[in-house]
Amino acid sequence: MAVVRRAEPVDLSLAGAANESRGATRGRLRRWLPVGIGLAIAALMVVVAAAAPLIAPLSPSAQFSDAVLKGPGVVDRHLLGTDDYGRDILSRVIWGARVSLEVGLASVMFGFVLGVPLGILAGVSGGRVETLIMRCADMLMAFPTLLLALIIVAALGGSLANEMLAIGVALTPNFVRLARSLALTIREQDYILAARALGSGQLRVMARHVFPNTLYALVVVASLYIATAIRTEASLSFLGLGVPPPTPSWGNILSEGRQYIKCCPWITTFSGLAIMVAVLAFNLVGDALRDLLDPRLKGE
Amino acid sequence: MVQYVLRRLLVAVPMLLGAMSIVFFAMRVLPGDPCVAMMGDQATTSALADCTRNLGLNRPLAVQYTDYLWRSVRFDFGNSFRQGYPVSEYIARMFPHTLVLVMASAIVAALVGIPIGIVSALKRRNPLIDYPLRIIALLGLSMPVFWLGILLLIAFSLRWNVFPLIGGGDLDGVTAMIRSGEVFLYPRDFLAAVADVLHHLTLPALALGFTLAATVSRLSRSAMLEVISQDYIRTARAKGQRERLVVYKHALRNMMVPLLTIIGIFVAIALTGTVLTETVFTRPGLGKMLIDAINARDYPLAQGAITVFTMTIIVVNLVVDMLYAVVDPRITYR
Repeated sequence: MAVVRRAEPVDLSLAGAANESRGATRGRLRRWLPVGIGLAIAALMVVVAAAAPLIAPLSPSAQFSDAVLKGPGVVDRHLLGTDDYGRDILSRVIWGARVSLEVGLASVMFGFVLGVPLGILAGVSGGRVETLIMRCADMLMAFPTLLLALIIVAALGGSLANEMLAIGVALTPNFVRLARSLALTIREQDYILAARALGSGQLRVMARHVFPNTLYALVVVASLYIATAIRTEASLSFLGLGVPPPTPSWGNILSEGRQYIKCCPWITTFSGLAIMVAVLAFNLVGDALRDLLDPRLKGE
Repeated sequence: MVQYVLRRLLVAVPMLLGAMSIVFFAMRVLPGDPCVAMMGDQATTSALADCTRNLGLNRPLAVQYTDYLWRSVRFDFGNSFRQGYPVSEYIARMFPHTLVLVMASAIVAALVGIPIGIVSALKRRNPLIDYPLRIIALLGLSMPVFWLGILLLIAFSLRWNVFPLIGGGDLDGVTAMIRSGEVFLYPRDFLAAVADVLHHLTLPALALGFTLAATVSRLSRSAMLEVISQDYIRTARAKGQRERLVVYKHALRNMMVPLLTIIGIFVAIALTGTVLTETVFTRPGLGKMLIDAINARDYPLAQGAITVFTMTIIVVNLVVDMLYAVVDPRITYR
């Protein structure tokens, strides 16, 4: 009996441990699953964009007069159908991934490279420099991202480079504000005091000590801004202010297909779906990474 | 408080000035000549010169700039290059269309977003409820409003023919009837006109509202999460209060304060959304006016639209900041 009595708690604790580890595994899975799905889709998008010439079944600008406005699968070689010029929708959507990804990555990089140093400078130096930088950022923040990008791209003219620049500038104030708020907390840390005591100048403190410590949070937020940039690019192209035709971008495929929604809804359906999946992927990655890695950013 | 309001107002002025300057100079580097855009490629040099002089585009940039600022302060944005009549008149006609769209989509967003956010926060440990709700929110956040608009048009306008494909209804007629008092003389006509406006408004409001609901649901989820971890909620539960009362009486009211913060963000997103929504649904409004003006290189019209957009956002943010102190007395301003 004594053995049995002794055995019981052992069994229970084992069962408890097993439950706990199962629960922990489930919790880990629950947390990492969205990151995994998002990363997988994002990686697929990168591969598709990079290998567009190899993957796309046809040229995105090739016109087939015998297959104008044909539905998905009606003509063998056009899996997702064709548009009003007889161009293959699948090939155009695949090539469109390039534009979206290029603009998404380049504009976020632009915003990062321009905004982060300014934000750190504002946070670390304080005083008039901070006021000047932050007032400028506030002024730009008065414009919603799409509106500011729209003004810039309207002024410079629609092209891939101008779109990158416009969205990049529109995203910059977000990076300035975030980098500043991170720098404000970091500058109070003991290691900054130590670095200063050892004779480090302002620039060295910012570059060697403040910047590396903001990087973590900034990269997480940057992945969320890729989603914003892709959506903004699609919106600009949809409004006719983005990459000029015949270069395919998801936004301009959708815009061109608008006239044919009655007879040929597949043109708008597939390009819209591509935009949504891409934005969703980067949102998933950014969101989940933010919750997992940096609870400080939950409110951002 | 008064000092804070004054200081906040003083900060808003240079912000507005800066924003207007950006708009002015951006419009001036716009590629293409507005006179060529108006008169076509075939216009003679002298006709083009006359047009440039009439529009005041031959004056030095600094003169044009100060003139623009001085006029804008008095809500005089000049005359539209293409239509010829005052921009402020045009804006006054378009603004109600955009306003009703923003308001209707705000109602949709609140009705969909707030309950989703609350339920998702309260049932966060039940993956069968929390997961689908979060996925809906994420889909709403990722779905471009113009695509959702097109899908709604395909289903409800083209396939089932329930809602109109284009237009915004006779909103001008409705406002005119209210202003002239005809609303009391012909209540039937008035109601018919209102019904027509609502009929045109439904799909755009649903499209914009659903995409906004995603933002609202996320923010109300985090607001609710913050509130239910407070001590007074634990106290309410400890004294034996039923869960339903805890949520409705204690949590919901307190949740509204952090939710107020989003009105500023909300208006900014909604106004941007109207640019796309009005274009998709071919609805009159400030957003569509802006895109048409940019395409036609109609500087005064584009400047006017952007200035009104920016002004609205700055003013709304100012009002929201002040509302905090009224709603939550714990917040004090230095």
